[in-house]
Amino acid sequence: MMISFAILVGIVIEGLCFTLFAGDSLYEFKMDWLQMVSIVLTGAVCSLPTIIWLTDTDIPKKKFIIRMVLHCIGLYVIVSLFGWLFKWYTQADGFIFMTVIYFAVYAFTWCVTLWFHKRDDNKINKALDDIRDEE
Amino acid sequence: MQVHIEKVDSKDQEQAVIKAVEITDEISGAIELLEGDAKGFAVSKDGKTYILKASNVYYIESVDKKTFVYTKQGCYDTKYRLYELEVMLGGYFMRCSKSMIINLKKVRNVKSQISGRIDATLLNDEVVVISRGYVKEVKRRLGIG
Repeated sequence: MMISFAILVGIVIEGLCFTLFAGDSLYEFKMDWLQMVSIVLTGAVCSLPTIIWLTDTDIPKKKFIIRMVLHCIGLYVIVSLFGWLFKWYTQADGFIFMTVIYFAVYAFTWCVTLWFHKRDDNKINKALDDIRDEE
Repeated sequence: MQVHIEKVDSKDQEQAVIKAVEITDEISGAIELLEGDAKGFAVSKDGKTYILKASNVYYIESVDKKTFVYTKQGCYDTKYRLYELEVMLGGYFMRCSKSMIINLKKVRNVKSQISGRIDATLLNDEVVVISRGYVKEVKRRLGIG
C-alpha cells in the first residue's frame, strides 16, 4: 500500500513538473484505469523485496544497510520494468525523470521513518526519566 | 478517582491505600505496579537458593530452555519460565524479545536503529535489544502509546 502510494506521489510530482515547467495544462493531466491498475500491481510486486529483505529487523546494522541497498535496487528494477510495460515513460528523458523521482521518494520515505524513530526515542526517554530507579 | 499524596520520612512508612467500589482493570494495573517492586521469587547461584526482590532485577533471559536473572550483583538462574515471570512480575517488567524480559525501571536510555529495533542501555551500561514487535507495548506500558 505504501509503495503504491509512493508511486502515486511520484506520478503526481511528474504531472505537476510537466504542468509547471513544460507548459502542459493541469486539466490535461489524466490517469486512466490501466494506470491505476498498474500502480496497484507494481505496489504488490514491490512488497516482495520488502518481505524478503526488510522484515527481519533483529540483525546487525551493517547487514541491514546492505539489505536496504538491495531493497532499493530491487524496487528500482521492478518500478522500471513495470514503467516500461505500462508505458509510464516512452523515451529516455521520461526514464531519467522517473529515476530521479524514484530515488527522491525512496530517500524521503527513509528520512520520515528516521524522524519518527527519533521522535519515539525522545518520548520514551522522557517517560523513562519519570520511572527510573535511583542507583 | 481522587488521589491524595502524603509525604513520609522513610521508605518503611510508604504505603498505598485504595478505596474503591470494585476492582477494575485500571485498579488492578495500579496494584500490580505498586506491588511489583516488593515481589520476590526464588533464584539460585552456586547451589544456594535466594529470594530475589523484583526491584533488583535488570533483565531476565532464556537460553537453551534455562532462565537466567541478571542483577547488579550478578547472574542467577531460576526454575521459572519466562512467561511465568512475565505474569508474576507484571508492571514495568515486559517482554522485549522472544527470549528476554526487561525491567523498564533499569533502562537509562533508548536509541532506535535504522531497522526499527531499539537498543536499550541499562543502568549497568549493558545494552539489550527491544525488538520492533514489542516497541508498541513499551510505549503502552509507559503511557505514551
